[in-house]
Amino acid sequence: MSVDSVPANREFAKQIGITFPLLSDFKRTVVKDYGVFNEEQGFGNRATFLIDKEGIIRHIDEGNVAVDPTTVVEACNALQHKKAATTP
Amino acid sequence: MYPRLLLSLVLLAVFSVVAMAQQPPVKTHLKVGDPAPDFTLRATDGKAYKLSDFKNKKNVVLAIYVLAFTGG
Repeated sequence: MSVDSVPANREFAKQIGITFPLLSDFKRTVVKDYGVFNEEQGFGNRATFLIDKEGIIRHIDEGNVAVDPTTVVEACNALQHKKAATTP
Repeated sequence: MYPRLLLSLVLLAVFSVVAMAQQPPVKTHLKVGDPAPDFTLRATDGKAYKLSDFKNKKNVVLAIYVLAFTGG
């Protein structure tokens, strides 16, 4: 997700070969709700939020660390293992 | 003489922008354990995606990238 328009994201996805959909927060409401709106620059700072099935935030990466998906992938795995362990 | 000074100033400006980009002045108020704010957003496939539609179905990774056509 970014604050780019849908057509801009579409072109971006085409250029780098992304096949999954990209979300567009053109009105900057979601970046504000998630507290990552950079007012000076007018865009959302880089961040990754892991949200579980109950809608609860389970992991946050913010800033340059969010470039590297390793920690959020680990958090995803931990979440899935936890679910597997609690489901009979 | 002047071109060199101009080049230095341009480089300084570029480095300042890079330094600013590397240190985001915003820190989210959200914490692990908080409910994720709901949203509905349009996507590149023309559909609208609502976070709460995934409730009790899927875990969601919301990855916010700075701008299209930038790395990372």
